[in-house]
Amino acid sequence: MAKQKVCLAYSGGLDTSCILVWLIEKGYDVVCYMADVGQEEDFDAAVQKAKKIGALDCIVADLKREFVEKLCFPAIQANAIYENVYLLGTSLARPVIAQGQIAVAQKEGCFAVSHGCTGKGNDQVRFELAFYALQPDIKVIAPWRDPEFYNRFPGRDALLDYAAKSGVPVSQSKAKPWSMDENLAHCSYEAGILEDPNTEPPKDMWKLTVDPMDAPNEPEEFTLHFLKGLPVKLEYSAKGSKKTATDPVDLFLTANAIARRHGVGRIDIVENRFIGLKSRGCYETPGLTCLRAAHVDLEGLTMDREVRALRDAFLTVPYAKILYNGLYFSPEARFLLDCIPPSQVSVNGAVRCRVYKGAFSVIGRWSDTEKLYDMSESSMDEIGNFSPADTTGFISVQAIRLKKFGKGMLEKGESM
Amino acid sequence: MAKGKVCLAYSGGLDTSCILQYLLDEGYEVIAFMADVGQEEDFEAAKEKALKIGASQCYIEDLRQEFIEELCYPAIACNAIYESVYLLGTSLARPVIARAQIAVAQKEGCFAVSHGCTGKGNDQVRFELAFYALQPSIKVIAPWRDPVFYNRFKGRNDLLDYASEKKIPVTSTKSKPWSMDENLAHCSYEAGILEDPNTTAPEDMWKLTVDPTKAPNEPEDFTIHFEKGLPVKLECKDGDKTEPLDLFLTANTIARRHGVGRVDIVENRFIGLKSRGCYETPGLSMLRSAHIDLEGLTMDREIRALRDQFVTFAYAKILYNGLYFSPEREFLETSITASQKSVNGAVRCRAYKGMFSVIGRWSDTEKLYDESESSMDEIGDFAPSDTTGFISVNAIRLKKYGKAKEEKGESLVTKH
Repeated sequence: MAKQKVCLAYSGGLDTSCILVWLIEKGYDVVCYMADVGQEEDFDAAVQKAKKIGALDCIVADLKREFVEKLCFPAIQANAIYENVYLLGTSLARPVIAQGQIAVAQKEGCFAVSHGCTGKGNDQVRFELAFYALQPDIKVIAPWRDPEFYNRFPGRDALLDYAAKSGVPVSQSKAKPWSMDENLAHCSYEAGILEDPNTEPPKDMWKLTVDPMDAPNEPEEFTLHFLKGLPVKLEYSAKGSKKTATDPVDLFLTANAIARRHGVGRIDIVENRFIGLKSRGCYETPGLTCLRAAHVDLEGLTMDREVRALRDAFLTVPYAKILYNGLYFSPEARFLLDCIPPSQVSVNGAVRCRVYKGAFSVIGRWSDTEKLYDMSESSMDEIGNFSPADTTGFISVQAIRLKKFGKGMLEKGESM
Repeated sequence: MAKGKVCLAYSGGLDTSCILQYLLDEGYEVIAFMADVGQEEDFEAAKEKALKIGASQCYIEDLRQEFIEELCYPAIACNAIYESVYLLGTSLARPVIARAQIAVAQKEGCFAVSHGCTGKGNDQVRFELAFYALQPSIKVIAPWRDPVFYNRFKGRNDLLDYASEKKIPVTSTKSKPWSMDENLAHCSYEAGILEDPNTTAPEDMWKLTVDPTKAPNEPEDFTIHFEKGLPVKLECKDGDKTEPLDLFLTANTIARRHGVGRVDIVENRFIGLKSRGCYETPGLSMLRSAHIDLEGLTMDREIRALRDQFVTFAYAKILYNGLYFSPEREFLETSITASQKSVNGAVRCRAYKGMFSVIGRWSDTEKLYDESESSMDEIGDFAPSDTTGFISVNAIRLKKYGKAKEEKGESLVTKH
């Protein structure tokens, strides 16, 4: 009887290599799946390793373009941010990874998908809620939630033994004392020594960005052009000549390169996971930090006040939560995604940016098409079409309610 | 015989000196009022000038303590911010200024208060809505909204001529090509050359903070302790500061020397116009960021989310629009206090070349963050298999959604 097929999200690392062995041991045929979402990794070596261990195949899906265009760009349009600080780098990648994995599973006739996510994290939830929406009858094998698996492998040493016994090549380099997740948008660090929220991350931990103190002593300037809230052109200088990037992936990579060399985008936080625990994480989100901040700035110039306020409170906040919790494939996510473009119709223009020693700043902005900002109208020095006497009426009407309030306070003997 | 007493908010500058003279010419007796909210100014010289011009009295009220404790501290406690970037430095001062002005007006038996705010700005609204709530029967004389006044004094030169005619001393230093407002929390710059949103603010404009490129090459580390969300101790190289004013001034000093706290934005005014402004908010930027960080460690997730979405936005808008003396502000402020019970601990901070960052945090009393519980390496009390149930229940709705999509032929796997 043919073996049942499982599609395993494979990384080439110790955990997923052991899980691959274990699944084969359990009698499954395993097709490995790797998602290229821009992490700097030797995919070929990982493919070879998977096949050597016994996978039927190892399929690498290049998802960088989808990741940038379908996930990162709408996040920029919505200024997505979680708990005031986290730009959702990991959350943004999960939907395309999960979608790619289910596509491979369906193509290969797999009855189940599997992953190496821990039992206490967000990612297991993000992946699995995506899996179940994409293919409701899929089965999920999550070894780190299976007592048989996690009791058998209570720590790294147990995994190393198993790997040795099973002929799995193990990288000679010492494991880092923290856990990392990398993609085009960011690199995240948590666990290990970072679990003490009062331990400062070591200088050599940060992979993508230069330490701000070692960053160039000269600031670097560049200009970002936006159309309907999406970055469409990045003008910058390289080797003394002016260059532009317009292709989304190219633009994103270029923004990354600029931000990385100036140490821009680092944060160190304690966040609230979906499963109810707090977790300390360090994140470096180079290009996306700049793109988002430039976008926020341009909205000041081009977006209506009330549309912005409604969007900030009722779109950005829930959308960030949806991304963070892994409910991307859901009716509410679709609804909010549909609300993003109408909010961005007028967000057209350009922002002049500067990066220096870890800091991003805006030094100017303009729009050739949007005229909500009117220099002479706002001017303190000109009257223009505006009648200052109108403000007297505006104030008077606002004051109707406040006078009643004040009167009420005085009558209660509660002078303000 | 005088037409009655008017209490004028006086600054010592050209505008309010001319207004003082104008009110006297109109037959009023004028009581001048100056609020010390931490701006670096020669109050005594301004007082002398007011009396010389003809004010019957000139009050100088030191409002710094109440400014910090009653306005800045609740703003820190709810992370108040307007349109994602503005920390409300000017808005925070208006309530204490207005309140003190009404107190002086009442003491002196003034039938009206007066100010030099322009007819297009936010401040006229902030002051007057406060006046009317504090004393509903008060009258307000706003020269810049009076066509008789603003048609007579069309620009700076008309004011200079009038001053010269009335022998009002005018400072010989060239006026700056922008307008400033300064207090303990910040300095703001707008108008003049800044009205072109694509003009970069000149380097010599920034008064409070050192230019980041000229800031020290060594970072400065310090620790801020919070109790119930309020800063109670600042430990730095200049010693321990516990008294609010001292703490705030020290935070300012540290931030200023490292160029921390600058923003350049286009914002939406309450009266419906957009305005370009530059703000340097040194100490408050850092106190707010440190506070946000500590909330990550010590605050419940759902309280934080509710407060972020429903309190912070609304409170910032209330402050910005000048509706501080209102029932809604009082309501929100009790929510702020209630949200902060567990925000106790300390944050280790670093200021460097315009950047503020957190390098660690701890709490001796709050245990929501539990190192071993969150650890990827320990199971502890938590059963990973519980997450299977959590995911399953969350997936009930998503599976139905996915199934419906499949039935409509709108597979989520191949299409976003």
